[in-house]
Amino acid sequence: MSAVLKGLGGLALAAAVLYGMQRTTPGYGEITAPRPVAGKLGHRLEGRAFAIDIAKVQLARTVATKGAARDSNFTTSGVWVLVEGTAEARTESLTLLSAEWLGANGVRYAMSQRLSSLPGMLPGQRLEPGLPMPVLMAFEIPEGQVAGGTLLIARSAWAPLAEQARVDMAGAKPADIRSGLVLARGQGRVPWTVSAE
Amino acid sequence: MTAATGMSERCRYWLSLAALAVVLPLAIVVNSWDSLSEWRRSEFRTPIAVERGTTQAYAGAQWQLTGLTRLPGATPETTLIVAEFDAAVDDPALLQAGPCAVVLTDDKGRRWLPVFLPGRTVRQGRPAAADKPRCYGLARAEKGKTITMAETFTVPEGATGLALSITIGGARPAYLVFR
Repeated sequence: MSAVLKGLGGLALAAAVLYGMQRTTPGYGEITAPRPVAGKLGHRLEGRAFAIDIAKVQLARTVATKGAARDSNFTTSGVWVLVEGTAEARTESLTLLSAEWLGANGVRYAMSQRLSSLPGMLPGQRLEPGLPMPVLMAFEIPEGQVAGGTLLIARSAWAPLAEQARVDMAGAKPADIRSGLVLARGQGRVPWTVSAE
Repeated sequence: MTAATGMSERCRYWLSLAALAVVLPLAIVVNSWDSLSEWRRSEFRTPIAVERGTTQAYAGAQWQLTGLTRLPGATPETTLIVAEFDAAVDDPALLQAGPCAVVLTDDKGRRWLPVFLPGRTVRQGRPAAADKPRCYGLARAEKGKTITMAETFTVPEGATGLALSITIGGARPAYLVFR
């Protein structure tokens, strides 16, 4: 009798262990997830492959471009987020192709493609070791996603185990949304200027 | 059940358990051997140092660095380095066995990859180099022909101890280092 009980107990234990292991097995996405490096707005974030310093974030309902191919006015049903900073490769030349705005509720927004041809845009800047480069990023996000946002920057949108800079954008507040910003071609080191309309 | 078979069964049980400890890691190594050796092959591991002005046999060609020119960059803190090199082809098949990669390194271990388009500065400062093909010029390799190539790099003004590394996929992990 006790042998039968023992057998049943063992079976139940094995089933419980197997169930537990099945539920806690990390998915492929989790195993190969990017390695996050955390930083803050206004502070230089040093990763292993690259360093990035997000200096300024500005919000607007419309963005006007001047001095590019032709002057245009870009409206959006959400909010324009213009992020300015400096980026540098640390050991080997690279290009940072992916920047995403992670909203407070976990939704991620890729960079807006509408301004992607402007000078200084992050994916267009080749970063060299020892040479900090000014970089610009533009996002279109719903107003509700401005507060508590995080900027995610990586070499590519999906690279297993690659480094991902996570910059806390606590400085961005819905109260700071302007009616319009002008993005013009800059003279000198920074190839653009941002000014209020 | 006699004591003897009991012993042998117990013995076999422990033997199997012990064997598992050996066989399992072995299986992992055997399974990943190809990837491991592939990864080792792709590394830059065996440098072949080449003195200034001398030629060196590598990957089916005779290589020579013909020029390393400094030009002013787009901003005061940047410098353009134009590296010009020749390959006298002996064995085109060996030369085209893999992609060609060129890297400029400095004494701090930083690595610069070539720029895609040399631009106006190179065209004005070093017109001879501006028209030379980049490393992909090797695609037109023929026996007995000498191929001239040039690559441009953007480096900080203060970079010292610059060296040019050239590697051909088929000849890795060996690579050339011109100082």
